[in-house]
Amino acid sequence: MLTNKVFIKKTKMGGVMKIVREHYLRDDINCGSQACTHNCDSDGKEPLEEIPISDSKLVMKPHYLVPDTNVVLHQIDILEDPSIKNVIILQIVLDEIRHRSAPIYKRVKDILASSHKHFYTYCNEFNMHTYAERQPGESANDRNDRAIRKAVAWYADHLKDTEIEVVLITNDAGNRKQSVLDGLKAYTIHEYVRSLSNMSLIDRLANPLNQMNQDNNGKVLFAEHLGLAEIQKGIRAGRFLQGTLLISRENYLEAFVSVKDQEKMIFVQGLQNLNRAVNDDNVALEMLPDSEWSCPSSMVLAEDEGKDEEDEENRALNETVVDNKVPKELRQPTARIVGIIKRNWRQYCGILQPSIIKERTRHLFIPAEKRIPKIRIETRQAQTLASKRIIVAIDSWPRNSRYPLGHFVRCLGEIGDKDTENEVLLLEHDVPHQNFSEAVLSFLPKMPWTITEDDVKRRRDLRHLDICSVDPPGCTDIDDALHCRELDNGNYEVGVHIADVSHFIRPGNALDQEAANRGTTVYLTDKRIDMVPDLLSSNLCSLRSKVYRFAFSVLWEITPTADIVKTDFTKSIIDSKASLTYAEAQLKIDDPNAHDNLTKSLRGLNKLAKILKKKRLDNGALSLASTEVRFYVDSETNDPIDVKTKELMDTNSMVEEFMLLANISVAEKILYEFPDNALLRRHPAPPPSNFDPLIKAAQSKGFTIDVSSGKALADSLDQAVVPENPYFNTMLRIMTTRCMMQAVYFSSGMLQPQDYLHYGLATPIYTHFTSPIRRYSDIIAHRLLAVCIGADASYPELLDKSKIQSLCNNLNFRHKMAQYAGRASVNLHTHLFFKKRIQDEEGHVLFVRKNALQVLIPKYGLEGTVFLNDDGQKSSSIFVYDEENNTQTAGDVTIHVFDPLIVQLSIDRSNVQHMKLSLKLVKPMIPGFSVQSVREVQANATGSQSKTSTTDLPISGKPPQKKKKRTH
Amino acid sequence: MSVDIRLASSRPAGTDLYHGENPGNIVTPGDVITADSGFMRGHGTYMEDECLHASVAGTVERVNKLISVRPLKTRYNGEIGDVVIGRIRELAQKRWKVETHSRMDSVLMLSSVNLPGGELRRRSEEDEKMMRHYLKEGDLISAEVQNVMSDGCLSLHTRSLKYGKLGQGCLVCISPSLVLRRKTHFHNLPIGASIILGNNGFIWISPTVQDKSEESGGYETNLQPIPKLDREVIARLRNCVLALAECKMLLFDTCILYAYEASLKYAVKDLLKPEVAVEVVDLVRQRLELEGS
Amino acid sequence: MAGMELLSDQGFRMDGRKPNELRRIRFKKGVFRQADGSAYLEQGNTKVLAAVYGPHEIRGSRGKALHDKLLINCQYSMATFSTQDRKRRPRGDRKAQEMTSHLKQTFDAVVLTELYPKVQLDIFVEVLQSDGGNYCASVNAATLALMDAGIPMKDYVIACSGSHMRDTPIVDMNHLEESSGGAEVIMAILPRCDQIVFLEMNSRLHEDHLSGVMDHVMVGCKDIFNILNQQVQDELCQKTELDKIVTTG
Repeated sequence: MLTNKVFIKKTKMGGVMKIVREHYLRDDINCGSQACTHNCDSDGKEPLEEIPISDSKLVMKPHYLVPDTNVVLHQIDILEDPSIKNVIILQIVLDEIRHRSAPIYKRVKDILASSHKHFYTYCNEFNMHTYAERQPGESANDRNDRAIRKAVAWYADHLKDTEIEVVLITNDAGNRKQSVLDGLKAYTIHEYVRSLSNMSLIDRLANPLNQMNQDNNGKVLFAEHLGLAEIQKGIRAGRFLQGTLLISRENYLEAFVSVKDQEKMIFVQGLQNLNRAVNDDNVALEMLPDSEWSCPSSMVLAEDEGKDEEDEENRALNETVVDNKVPKELRQPTARIVGIIKRNWRQYCGILQPSIIKERTRHLFIPAEKRIPKIRIETRQAQTLASKRIIVAIDSWPRNSRYPLGHFVRCLGEIGDKDTENEVLLLEHDVPHQNFSEAVLSFLPKMPWTITEDDVKRRRDLRHLDICSVDPPGCTDIDDALHCRELDNGNYEVGVHIADVSHFIRPGNALDQEAANRGTTVYLTDKRIDMVPDLLSSNLCSLRSKVYRFAFSVLWEITPTADIVKTDFTKSIIDSKASLTYAEAQLKIDDPNAHDNLTKSLRGLNKLAKILKKKRLDNGALSLASTEVRFYVDSETNDPIDVKTKELMDTNSMVEEFMLLANISVAEKILYEFPDNALLRRHPAPPPSNFDPLIKAAQSKGFTIDVSSGKALADSLDQAVVPENPYFNTMLRIMTTRCMMQAVYFSSGMLQPQDYLHYGLATPIYTHFTSPIRRYSDIIAHRLLAVCIGADASYPELLDKSKIQSLCNNLNFRHKMAQYAGRASVNLHTHLFFKKRIQDEEGHVLFVRKNALQVLIPKYGLEGTVFLNDDGQKSSSIFVYDEENNTQTAGDVTIHVFDPLIVQLSIDRSNVQHMKLSLKLVKPMIPGFSVQSVREVQANATGSQSKTSTTDLPISGKPPQKKKKRTH
Repeated sequence: MSVDIRLASSRPAGTDLYHGENPGNIVTPGDVITADSGFMRGHGTYMEDECLHASVAGTVERVNKLISVRPLKTRYNGEIGDVVIGRIRELAQKRWKVETHSRMDSVLMLSSVNLPGGELRRRSEEDEKMMRHYLKEGDLISAEVQNVMSDGCLSLHTRSLKYGKLGQGCLVCISPSLVLRRKTHFHNLPIGASIILGNNGFIWISPTVQDKSEESGGYETNLQPIPKLDREVIARLRNCVLALAECKMLLFDTCILYAYEASLKYAVKDLLKPEVAVEVVDLVRQRLELEGS
Repeated sequence: MAGMELLSDQGFRMDGRKPNELRRIRFKKGVFRQADGSAYLEQGNTKVLAAVYGPHEIRGSRGKALHDKLLINCQYSMATFSTQDRKRRPRGDRKAQEMTSHLKQTFDAVVLTELYPKVQLDIFVEVLQSDGGNYCASVNAATLALMDAGIPMKDYVIACSGSHMRDTPIVDMNHLEESSGGAEVIMAILPRCDQIVFLEMNSRLHEDHLSGVMDHVMVGCKDIFNILNQQVQDELCQKTELDKIVTTG
């Protein structure tokens, strides 16, 4: 079993340290091949097929591939292709990838985990036959290459009795040559891929550096990057600084670098000084002398789109802004980039730049993200890809190239197609949305799933209670249900039952890790990106009616005046009697003839909820407004045909009230038991200066808003009502929302108790407990609570406050991104909705800006900007901005905040990648600025066309996704 | 002068006689010797859960109902009548404390030594003051175990002419278990040297003294230089004893003599080389086997 | 996660062992001629010398003597060259003192001390090279040294360490694994009567995993015991063969 041969690995670190580590070599490592004729002790793990099929014309026999490190690192897109199978990833390769690139390592691991890819990790370093000891004078790389060859040779020998050949894939010429000398088969990835019948793979090959070098005549455009050793030396000596590069959104030639432990950002300007750094890279900086310091120019500068690329090539790097006539006092610390510490390249969405010569294979790619430079790629499918959105990865950026070099990864679909655009926005918001990997799915319970005796013993049986769930229509991931019954002593027993997701997702497994990474379910207007696989989210965890489900219940005894007498937490089994929609529940409550238990229960809940809400508001909780839109979707095309704001009913607030109560009760419990590592949610009080625009706006209508406390704010908001403008109050509340801080998750040990406050809810402590299906934070809260009541075991990560905090950081990021993605999705649908129409709508001025008006359109819950000076004509505007009173005046028309307007909505298609909703002023009429209303235009146009009527039928094509807005 | 320098190497292990089968009487601490309650508990054993367990690693020995385990190596466990060699460590009230490689210092009472001037002399206070004059710290003596006290402490006596203070010679310390119990432990070897095989593992090698003067009572040391030839014999004997002990051979006069004879073809100092030592011991072993069969 | 992967997906540890595999163990008894018993033991790259003197008369003040049992005196020290960074370790630094008292406790429990009242036994342990599991190697070496000295003991005392990584218990940790920050359970047991004489845990380990880790460490101890006992018996047999020749001779 154990060859028991000790070797000594020596590594020198810091000059004198000699590290001696044992390294056991074994003879029991299995080859992973089903074709193996030796008795490899496989313990059932033989992913490599017995007869690997491949259509390569280069290697006719069945074969396994062994890629070297660089091939895996650069050509992971190829390896991920389903047509590449039966690949042996050597341990040495895997180790090196882990050190060099975490994302690629994760992708490789995913491939290894999927059973249909037939990838296998061979532990060559631990096998006595394939271990290669580093020889004197041999570099680490040479040794690794030799080790790889040795492993390939071993495989070749091991499988010599079978038909199977083993092929080394390496782009290193020396390695290839040596392998051929050793009698092994070795090809470059390019040779191999070209020999396959699947031609589309060729485009996805990353470009080897040397090819590009040849045709640019070695004209060097950029300064050389310094080596890592030199950078580190420089950083230690204080000559260099290290930081993350953030390219300006307005001007691609300007960037800021946030340097560690330094408040002030450092400015970098010009292509030369940026020196091939891409947004998000970790870079080393050298400060420029004071005389060369500069400041951001106010110019908006985007890379020109239409220019022919040859042109651009020739146009050297003159673009750099050299006119250093910046006044001294405006100058900011400016630096130039001398080296890259770590690239943070990812894959970018975008489109191909139209090329004049169609047959060319070299093309420029324009990323959707403005901060990313154009990327040069090579593809033969330019014609087909011209109208598509594609994904491209950067491979390198040589010194003699104006643009980074990359390769085509995949095509998302037609520009303007909804699915494509959805995918783009998911990618751009970094929302993990791939299908769940096999490793993740393997941790799902096996179907059919049944409740065992043991489960029943460990849980309180609440199946006899009249529990029901109340949700938006079409909701499939039901994570909460309620009940209420009168007790003998006149009090009420109220139960909130939350799906017991933590029962199915055990800490630390792949499923858990995936959920923790996703952090939240993302709701797009027409699509839901689940945090947990569908089996859980829509079935086992979803508290559907008429099935037994596991729940985590919070049971209160509440007096008729809504004081809590007793709180109890328990894991339970429930049997929901009905899944109601808000409207259905409302109907039941309002129906005077209904006297069944369920209705009674609902009425009780409703009654208590009202008292609770009143108490909460009296406490100073804010009731804020935000607009939410709902799209009515055509069942066939899935295109939106109408858009409405959502309406709220009593039952919405009833459910919400009890969820808040449950969250607060749980927060108190887990904080009491885990003062150091409870996952809580806080909403910091905003600094008073945040309210300035609100106060100013209210003043213009003669109201004073008191922001001294949450309570005062809530009261003054309540009083600010203008009878003739019913929307005024809502607008004020929308504005208040804008003043707020972001609510965030945190670990209780990281902050002082007074900072736990949730400002919006006016509660000293809060957490998220009630939606574990769609939020990972709730799963953690469940686990903590389960430990508190002894229903489940804790695990080390759960008790580590810093681990919880880093989890919180990820959750906060994901939540933010999910919100952005959601908004972007709404925008997208708005665009689709207005693609075919131009419409006049009533709106209100929300903000008056220097060059624009921000207008809210209540009908659609939309917000848009009316630009007062058209960028096309640089002529000075006819509007005069009065900063004092916050008004814009043109002639005799003065526009104030909250003024009603009529605007025309249409889509601005000037930019393919970034369509914009454009608003034009219709009323009040300002000559030379306002446009005619649609009606008038139509009237003028002979009137022959019948007015395009919009069907108001709420045809719900797909069930609209549940989206509860509880962003407290 | 030539110096012998050797590098680290595995030592020759001697002939491997053991072929893997446990002869059955080998036990290690914790082993159950017997679950039979009819036996008596001897040295190296303890009772637990009605079973007799071994407490040391060694061979099980059974004398009638008494079971004991003899370890390979141990401190000296004295028995009455044993010949021991010891070193004076300390003087106390009417007694000397003697280091005999036992677990406690042995006691030599002033009353159990022969003093000059007759055996039946009364011990006066004068004698007590003179104790250091007779034997002082560091002196070596040969003695016999007179009694074993309850706590394991040995009381010695030297009331025979053959015991007493030792003069010029050479002391070798080996494991007590390597000394074979014999009728006599004093040997005048025919090669011009005497040897005392102390039961406590101390072995005394000295030139054979022809006439023992009685007047001094054995407390005067003869400081005449020993001829070189005699010294060489003593040195050779010492190295032979060490070699035998190194190879875990039981020591008695014949085997020492055989070793001496077998070693004659080597220089004295060469006997310290492990391979030479092993060869010599092998020869001894073969010769013993030959005679035994 | 950054840095090293202590247990790979393929189930191998950094040095190529599986979770339940021990490092190589080699030892030699009776390395000193002067001491009553001594042993040199290697567990992987952890190398330890142990020497036992006694039982002998109490040295130093006689007041230390125990009237009803043996006094065990331990001394643990580490050679200056035993760790990666060479540093002078004044004897009796805090770590060594702690280890010394641990060793004393361990052997007090197993040596049949009541047999030797009023005397003293010295156990000296010196770590020559440290690569994790210093306590374990020290205990195992001292056990062998005690046996070599013929000191009566209830049983072998065997120590082994273990931890929990990626839901798998691992045994016999090397320095790299010890310094990774995870929990470490150290146990000394009497392998034949399944008694635990010493248990130490560093850092936090979840309660649920404890018994699993302990079971594996227990098995590890027994594996070590089998290795040691086999060789001890072989040596004993060899010696008795020699004796036979003599006695027949």
